[in-house]
Order: sequence, then structure tokens, then C-alpha cells
Amino acid sequence: MLDCREIESFLPAYVDGEFDAYERAEVESHLADCAGCQHAVRMQAALKDAVKRAALAIAPIELRHSVQLALRDEELPGSRWDAVLHNPRAVGLAAAAVGAAVWFLAGGMSHPLFTRHSGLVDDTVAMHMRGLPLDYAATDVGSVQQWLQGHLDFAARVPRFRQGPALQGVRLSQLHSRPAAVLSYSIPQADGRRVSLFIVDDPDNADPPGTARRVADRQVWLSRSRGYNVVSWRNEEIVYQLISDLDEGDVLQLVQAVELR
Amino acid sequence: MLDLKHTDRTRREFEGLALEHLDPLYSAALRLTKNERDAEDLVQDTFLRAFRFFDKFERGTNMKAWLFKILTNTFINRYRRRVKERTVVEGAAREQSSEKFIVRETAETAINPEQYFFDKLLSDDVLRSIDALPIDFRLVVILADLQEFSYKEIAEILDCPVGTVMSRLYRGRKLLQKNLMSYAVEQGVLAAPRAVELGADAEAEADVLEFKRRARG
Repeated sequence: MLDCREIESFLPAYVDGEFDAYERAEVESHLADCAGCQHAVRMQAALKDAVKRAALAIAPIELRHSVQLALRDEELPGSRWDAVLHNPRAVGLAAAAVGAAVWFLAGGMSHPLFTRHSGLVDDTVAMHMRGLPLDYAATDVGSVQQWLQGHLDFAARVPRFRQGPALQGVRLSQLHSRPAAVLSYSIPQADGRRVSLFIVDDPDNADPPGTARRVADRQVWLSRSRGYNVVSWRNEEIVYQLISDLDEGDVLQLVQAVELR
Repeated sequence: MLDLKHTDRTRREFEGLALEHLDPLYSAALRLTKNERDAEDLVQDTFLRAFRFFDKFERGTNMKAWLFKILTNTFINRYRRRVKERTVVEGAAREQSSEKFIVRETAETAINPEQYFFDKLLSDDVLRSIDALPIDFRLVVILADLQEFSYKEIAEILDCPVGTVMSRLYRGRKLLQKNLMSYAVEQGVLAAPRAVELGADAEAEADVLEFKRRARG
């Protein structure tokens, strides 16, 4: 008969399904009478599950493409530009850069092109890219709002989009040690591209980073990081930050479609 | 000049077999390097090396395990120096103390303490706890929990005996649990329900005890 000490050392193998029927039966005959070890087994299983849920990430689409490009380089030295020209994503990025330059030349911008990067924007973009799993999945504003009220210590209002992004759910996070909610959307009209909306409590009242613009009577700040466009705006003490790999024009249009009740 | 081993067909075959493992490889790389930039570099390196050695890959065997072997080797040889790590010895020494005390503490706190506890914790805390593990433990936890490789596969990936996998996993999970517990205490996740909802909890607790008594006959 196994004792609790032995059971403890066998926990991983038991929970991971590494034991054969005989070994399993032996562990289970102990578990039947031992609440402490039952607890330890459930704890181990919950831990394993939590690790999996937290650490599963989706590789940025750019990585997939750069791997494919690199593989092409491997086989045909010198064919790189060819590959770039035949890669719609790479072309899209180049076009976005050109678009940004044109927009800069055309319109009253007070900061240099590719505005000053602030740590905040880099961090939110990094989080957006990681595409971490949701803490609460729901597609209607009401239930996400309700869920957030029980999980945040500030009044984050979940906006409604008149068109475009469809809500997928929310994830709690921290930005510069302040609690934040990250709403996750996908845009059906744009191949399900992801959009993240960060809501963070910022009592400092400083201007969000980026270049000031006005969109539909709202003061917003536009910035870029790693090929993503970030639009920030403030509603009293709450800062909203919308992130997407759509181009500036499209992103600003999304912001126009935001309704804050 | 064309290398005939790497014809277009070979590349397509490689992409077909290997690219589907991109997300798992990236997830693991993120936890190994702890930052996106190095993770992307590591994954890219892994694919390039795998492609170069593709003729050594036995068709029909486990592509995912083979890629992970290349990923971990690449990481250990090249990135480990770049990413500062705490030593295994240090980590193991810290593991000793308050484990049992804290486990008992949760057991008394809620009806389904295990699930309840992890639901309350943020994913970011779980990530922080994984990242705090010494690299040898982190590797086995990533391979077993995140990727669900069998111990035998992990032993092959890491080139070590199955017994070593088991003991590292045992200690790794213990450390992980301990880290999480301390975050939970820090954030009041563990203490809060008892203090705030004492009435409801006491009732639930009584129900559970009653249930257990009946179950035992």
C-alpha cells in the first residue's frame, strides 16, 4: 500500500497519464480514502491546465511569413526580392509605410514621422501581438460589461462599434502596474483580423502618446509600433487604446464607429 | 546555383510538415526567451536549421518532437547566454519551505479550491510564475504541460533519462505552485473569500463536510 509521501512523488506521472493500469489502480486505491491526496491530484491537474491556458500563444503572422521567406532564401540564394514581390503581406506592409509617408506629407502633423515611441504603446502592441487567451469569452457588450464590473476596480465602459469589429471577449491584464481590460475583436469584413482595445485607468491625466488628431469630435492620438497602428483617446480618467494592423485610414474609421455610452 | 536536395518540392514538403507546429514552437520559445523578439528569432532559427537537416529527418516519425529537439538545442546553445537565467541550484534551494502550509490553507478556503484558485488568478501571474522557474524545470514544464509530450518524448527531446524528466517535472510543478500561491496571497486571492463572505463559505463548507460524511457511510 502506498503512503501519502509516495503518492506525492508520483503525482506528475499519475496526472499526466503516464501510469499503466496496475500503477493507476494502486494510486487510486489510496486516493479513495485520502482527501489530502485527492486535493493534491486536483491541484496538479488544475495547475497543468492553467499553464496550458496561459502560455499558449499564436505566432504573429509576420513570423510565419518571415520563416517562409527565409526558407526560400535557403534554397535559392539571391531570390529574396523576388520573394518579397510575390508576398502580398510584405507588399502590404510596404504600402502601409508609403501610406504613412504620404499622410505625413499631406497633413498637419506636429511630430516627426513615426512618432515618438512610448513604452506604453510598445507594451500594448506586444500584448496584442501575443494574442493571449481570453479570460471571458462573449460576443455581446452587455455581458462583457457585467463581467468586467466584477473584475476591475474602475469603471471601464465597454464601447459599442456601430460597424466593423465583432466582440470576442475580454482578458484582464496589467499595464505599467495598473489594472487593464483588453477587449478582443475580429473584423469579419477583413478576414477576421484581430483588433484589441485596451482600457486602462490613468488618473495622471497626461496626454496619451502619439500625434494628436480629431476624429468625430473626439481628440485622439495616433502612433505606430512594429507595423501596428495604435489610436489612443481619453474619457476622463480612462484611457482607451485601439490596436490593429489595418492602415491608418481604416483604424481611424474604426474609432469613428466607436460609441461610448 | 541550385542545391538539388532542396528543390521546391522538398521545401513544400517541409513547410507542409513543419509550419503547422509554428504556434506551439512560438509559445514555447516565448517562455524560454521571455520576450517576443528573441522568441521570433529562435523560432526562425529553428525552422532554418530543421530545413537544413531535413534529409536527416525520418519520414513518418514525430515531426513535432523533432522540431522541439532542434528548438531546445538551439536555445541552449545560442540563446541561453543571451537570456540571463537563475541557476538550478538556487531555485531548488528556494523550493523547500512553506509548501505544505500554503496547500492546507487553500484546502480550507473554498468548496472547489483548486479550480476556484486558478480561476481567480490572472494568466499573467501564471506566465510570471513559469518565467521564474530555473531553465531546466521550465523546459520540462513547457514540454509536458504546454505541449503535452509524453515523458519518453521529452526524454528524447532533452537527451536525458525518463527518470530525470520525472524528477524535474515534480520539482518544477512544485516550484510553480509555490510561486502562484505567493502571488495569490500577495493579491489577496487566497485570503479574500474567507474574510468577505464568511457566512456563505461556512455554509458551503458545512455542505461539503456533510457530503463527505455521507459518502463515507
